Amino acid sequence: MSTVKSKKLQVGTDATSSNNFTIYQPASPDGTLRIGVGNADSPTEVGRFDSNGLNKLGTASGSAPSYSARAWVNFNGVGTPSIRESGNVSSIVDTGVGIYTVNFTTAMPDADYVMSGHSGNVTGTTGTGRSQQRNGTWTASTAYFRNVLTNTQAPYDDSYIGLIFIR
Amino acid sequence: MNKRIVYTQDDGTVAVIVPADECGLTVEQIADKDVPAGKEYHIVDVSEVPSDRTFRDAWTWE
Repeated sequence: MSTVKSKKLQVGTDATSSNNFTIYQPASPDGTLRIGVGNADSPTEVGRFDSNGLNKLGTASGSAPSYSARAWVNFNGVGTPSIRESGNVSSIVDTGVGIYTVNFTTAMPDADYVMSGHSGNVTGTTGTGRSQQRNGTWTASTAYFRNVLTNTQAPYDDSYIGLIFIR
Repeated sequence: MNKRIVYTQDDGTVAVIVPADECGLTVEQIADKDVPAGKEYHIVDVSEVPSDRTFRDAWTWE
């Protein structure tokens, strides 16, 4: 059994170099594997992997790693609340005016994730500031928050509430 | 999903669980997973949940 070793491997032999890709180790090895568009002699990096897997999205500039949302939800909190679209969310819980719980389909690794959100009128102008505030002790599978008016700090039902969770 | 899961919270008011259509779970599976342990719950049609939220924080379930 033989082993082929190479610093670069070109995938594709099209006459147009941008139709080909190259998998390569950088000139100064740093523990990463790069994927570039173009021929092996001059690939342009579009993705980077390290020992933990995908390190940086090809759309990200610079060398800082990329992190992505692990769950998200877009829901209507007025009338009979309903979820428009979501990812890795099994349900939201309406526990009172402007007070909600988000349950994840697949739990986070721990409760140290971060939530970001915004809300307002789904149509027309949202004239009063809103904020989404953590509300109680989170777990790996459940996050609690309040959607409030910033001028009064009163919990408020909005026709658009969007949240993302990053870990 | 035109179903909701309702249960009574510790303060006596009602919580309404809104299942996510995209999650791949049935409403029964969501109830098993997302209703707090020990709480009695009911799976109801969405039409049974009031849409007027004027007195939302006073809702109870009977």
